[in-house]
Amino acid sequence: MLRCSNIVKHYRGSRVLHNVSISVKPGEMTALIGPSGAGKSTVLRILACLEAPESGTIAIDDDEYCYPADPGTPAPQPWPRLTAVFQQLFLWPHMTLRENITLPLRLRQIPDIDKRVRALIERFDMSEFIDRYPNQVSGGQRQRAAIARALALKPVYLLLDEITSALDVEQAAAIIKHLDSLKADNIGILMITHYLGFLQRSADQIIFMEDGKVAENGGREILVNPKSSGMQRFLSSFNEIESTIS
Amino acid sequence: MSLFEIIGKYHVAFVSGLAVTVKLALVVWTVGLSIGFLLGIVGGTYAKTFGRVIALGSFLLSGMPLLVLLYWLYYPMQVMLNVVIDPFITACVALGIVNAFGVAEAVRNALGDFPTQYTMAAKVVGLTARETLIHVKAPILLRQLLPLLLTLQVTMLQATLFASLISVEELFKVAQRINSMIYKPIEIYSALGIFFLLVCLPLNGLALWLKVRFTRNLSES
Repeated sequence: MLRCSNIVKHYRGSRVLHNVSISVKPGEMTALIGPSGAGKSTVLRILACLEAPESGTIAIDDDEYCYPADPGTPAPQPWPRLTAVFQQLFLWPHMTLRENITLPLRLRQIPDIDKRVRALIERFDMSEFIDRYPNQVSGGQRQRAAIARALALKPVYLLLDEITSALDVEQAAAIIKHLDSLKADNIGILMITHYLGFLQRSADQIIFMEDGKVAENGGREILVNPKSSGMQRFLSSFNEIESTIS
Repeated sequence: MSLFEIIGKYHVAFVSGLAVTVKLALVVWTVGLSIGFLLGIVGGTYAKTFGRVIALGSFLLSGMPLLVLLYWLYYPMQVMLNVVIDPFITACVALGIVNAFGVAEAVRNALGDFPTQYTMAAKVVGLTARETLIHVKAPILLRQLLPLLLTLQVTMLQATLFASLISVEELFKVAQRINSMIYKPIEIYSALGIFFLLVCLPLNGLALWLKVRFTRNLSES
């Protein structure tokens, strides 16, 4: 299990995370939702071990990372067992999408690179554009390649930071279609998204964050019967947008 | 006397001048690129300390005409220190300083502007810091820097002509000397112009080609 407990984080003197504790189970999809500035991306970066909190604990299966970290005790490297995909600037621009996917495999001297990459190309429908450079393909195609690169090393946990927010509806739908299938691979997914329809169908756990705190946590039912006033406000703002559009 | 007759008659002097120009350019390129890269990497890595010192040095040099720097190193500085330094070495130092700070500033800026997302992406797929440097950071930085550095080196090659003003016997000085003897300025300076065009234009063209070929859209949008 991927777990963080009592995480506290400050930015420029103000506290942005207040004792945040969440967990992600392998084979389950956990969604992190909430208004802008709630601290969702900070939690994701901390869980990905890309940013250190002031205090708290992160546990990745049996490995525990306690903060403040002891500089004398070397911590085991969490990647690529735990990996992440971000909204922008993720693919290396001097390599084709294929090279982006194969580089980490080549460096780890994985024996069946071609077979593994072929399977990913097929799975994410990338055969038409796999040998192009990132600036020669659409945002959705780039995201598919980025997810494929993250999956190439067979991670146990995959963290996704608003990967569909810069995409149009059609491209986002294509990405989401692929995410559904990852649960079957026993990958634990933590994702920040605003696609509530998708969460209603696929999420196993939904965590609502507000003002740097976990305000509500539960199954899909909390999207229908929210308990906290913040969550109610958040969902009603979505409903307002939907009714305005329709 | 035609241009070819002039070159034929004075070819030894021209070759000797060309050799000095090439030697000077090679020294300035080597010194500028090696010291510049070193300073740039140190300045980019320690942006708040060394980076500021290098930025200040570049800023001060940008306000100092090369000719003034060259003259100052050749006359007042040597008088003040009571030393006599060979004009060739003085030219190497002056042009080397300008080149080194130019390269350092370019490298420092490229390092400072390098999108951290690329290194972050490398980290989360398990690349070590060394692997990230070799396979991600260095290739992207080099592609960004190469056209800029090539253009700067062409400028430095052209700037070697200033060395003639402190009596370095390089190509321009030789041309001046020959012209003073036979007075054929049209032929001599046209030949000199064509020579520099033949050397510099392909290099500038290469810089342009590299820029188009390698500068990929870093914004991905």
